[in-house]
Amino acid sequence: MSEKRPEIVIDGFPQRRPRWMELATSGNHKDVGRILISGALGFLFIALVELLLMRLQLAIPENTFLSPVNFNRMLSLYGTTAIFLFALPLVFGLFYYLTPLQIGARGTALPRLGQIGLWLWVASATVLYAGFLFTPSEAGINPLAPLSELTFLPNNGVDAWAAATGLATLSFVLLAIDLTTTLRRMRGPGMAWRRLPVFAWATAIGSWLMLVVGPVLLAAITMLLIDRNFDGIFFSDAGGGAPLLWQHLSWIFFTGTYMLVLIAAFGAICEIVPALVGRPLEGRTTVTGSLVAIAVIGTLAWIQNMLTAPIGIAWMYFAMAMALALIVPFGLILYNLIATIAGGTVRMRAPLLFAAGAVSAISVGLAAEISHSMVGLAWKLKNTTDATGATHFALIGGAVFGGFAALYYWFPKMTGRTMGEPLARISFWTMILGTALTFVPLLFSGTYDGQVIDAYKFFGDEGISGYNLIASIGAFVLAIGIVMTLVNAILSRSGGARAGHDPWGGDSLEWFAHSPPEPHNFDVLPDVRSNRPLRDIRAAIAHRTTRAPEQPAHESQPVA
Amino acid sequence: MSPNSPAIDQIETLFGIGFVAFAIVVLAVNVALIYFLRRRRAARGAQPAESQEGGRPQLRVGAGLSAFAVAIFVLGLVFTEKAREAPATGPAGLQEKDSESLTIKGTGQQWLWRYEYPNGAFSYYKLVVPVDTAIELQLDSTDVIHTWNVPSLAGKRDAVPGKVHEVSFRADEEGSYTGRAATLSGASYAAMGTEVEVVSPEEYESYVKQLDTDIQAAQDTVVDQIESGETP
Repeated sequence: MSEKRPEIVIDGFPQRRPRWMELATSGNHKDVGRILISGALGFLFIALVELLLMRLQLAIPENTFLSPVNFNRMLSLYGTTAIFLFALPLVFGLFYYLTPLQIGARGTALPRLGQIGLWLWVASATVLYAGFLFTPSEAGINPLAPLSELTFLPNNGVDAWAAATGLATLSFVLLAIDLTTTLRRMRGPGMAWRRLPVFAWATAIGSWLMLVVGPVLLAAITMLLIDRNFDGIFFSDAGGGAPLLWQHLSWIFFTGTYMLVLIAAFGAICEIVPALVGRPLEGRTTVTGSLVAIAVIGTLAWIQNMLTAPIGIAWMYFAMAMALALIVPFGLILYNLIATIAGGTVRMRAPLLFAAGAVSAISVGLAAEISHSMVGLAWKLKNTTDATGATHFALIGGAVFGGFAALYYWFPKMTGRTMGEPLARISFWTMILGTALTFVPLLFSGTYDGQVIDAYKFFGDEGISGYNLIASIGAFVLAIGIVMTLVNAILSRSGGARAGHDPWGGDSLEWFAHSPPEPHNFDVLPDVRSNRPLRDIRAAIAHRTTRAPEQPAHESQPVA
Repeated sequence: MSPNSPAIDQIETLFGIGFVAFAIVVLAVNVALIYFLRRRRAARGAQPAESQEGGRPQLRVGAGLSAFAVAIFVLGLVFTEKAREAPATGPAGLQEKDSESLTIKGTGQQWLWRYEYPNGAFSYYKLVVPVDTAIELQLDSTDVIHTWNVPSLAGKRDAVPGKVHEVSFRADEEGSYTGRAATLSGASYAAMGTEVEVVSPEEYESYVKQLDTDIQAAQDTVVDQIESGETP
């Protein structure tokens, strides 16, 4: 372009508002994503404090550190914080920040929805913790009706729980609507569905899953609130309702959420592993297909949580079939990840370390969890600490190890700085030790001594004192490990080594943007020709550089 | 926790098989992961291999995993069905004329279990049953959901208000078996437990008769007191 373009003349830039106000009112997907991710990591710390309080109470038999009611409050807050204020916002924060960048979009399709979603989530967190001003919920992680009914818990705790989880779920549903629309309408030139990075696929699948299971919980919560405040009868047997209805609806949501966290974790791991072993993912199509299968089959296994309830045995076998069918997609993903590593050149940096830890913890957790779907085994192991251990291995593997792998991997993109490697290594090994020390003894005490879950105390003659003491010590080790990574993130925001736009040699488009990206993401949108667009760009640049001396004249001239 | 009933035998066998099968899978995944991460380190000069094109290995791995899942499903089905089978009363057990198994009602309430015997006598916390006899426990709840859990005798079952949930078991050895309720049911949940005492059929019959007499006597006393004006 040699001719002069017309210029727009303005009288200087408008006065910028303070940074916090810019952030709070921004509809930019990167601002919303960053607030969600930072908030989620903050609530991870709060969830840890609640976990430690409970483990302190359970360190020795018949402890009186927490009163029964306070223990139940911590239990309810811990579960709700871990799922609705940590795992899901972390997942959706990462989806929301990264997916538009990965598909070559300059923003999301419905930015206002994302903004409302963020602030609904902030409202949800406020409502849940404002519960401390009167009484937090005492009904447990999943407040099973009829315990959650007004007759049995007449204070406002369950109402605060219902309002908080309802707001949070609504927020995730709105973010999911924005993300599915963005993926449908805003993909860059040449970005066909088959060329979408695996993490963007995980976003699509996870968002659709939230669109299906989110409204189910919203319906259940609405019924619960009607029961509690307007003399409803949905879950009360005396009025002609069905207590088991709550279990069906809530477990559909929680099972879907469990799968969503694992889908997001594997989506991130399937980006990290190829980048750090310098080799494209094996069986890319199989992996994305498996993620779809996990979303569908996994959610259909919701009855796995109800195998001791009075329901027909055929339904239980259906849940067993669905849960065992999950072995195939999860197994294929693990096989392809290991096959990718087996043919690559491993650069053992922090993201890969945490990704490997995630795969390892998830494999233990899923094996235990899936084996519990065998109906006879569920009658032995359901509601024992074996189930606690299984769920924590899978979800700490997915949300904490997987989440930290994603954090270490994409932190340079979000801040322009790399997180400290030495602290990452110490944090990782402390966390591995902590996870094993906390949850392996719980697996044993649940399996061999039948220790029951959610109980505020146990007795000295049950033979589980040793297991519980080790678990309590382990919880502190785990917390120290997690806090080290959180500190690492805070310190590295301004003190980390500067990262270029592509520190890991990734293949997807987010590495084409600046670090941190400009508000509009890309100055130029590249034409995507394969499922490894950045490799193509690197090859084109290398090609041009090597050809440059031979062709010093105008490039636009045809070669004679 | 040694197995003391036929259903627990089946569940423990299933547990043994499931544990070994899944432990092998977990070990294989983790060993392969750690082995390749160490062997393919850049410091060792590993060069990236070409990716394998085509779906052959995917199909093979998928078929292997499917076979494993189907095998586990069949095992789970077989042993669950065996564990569900209503046991038969043995020679040392209580032989009743009209029904094959002894039916007892168990009602959960915050935070106790109430048991009602066929003759109308009832007891709280402790259930006394005859040895070697098929028992059908009909679980129900008056308030919230409780889980009846005596791990040495039978699998867990939920007591849900408004529904009758049956669990059958047979205790093969005399003795006392305890268990704790396994669903969060409110403030005193951790203190909610139960004890099943397994005794000989003769002892059972005399116990139940005595219980009934005691309850009748207590009720008569109360009626007397009300009539004589001692109790309002």
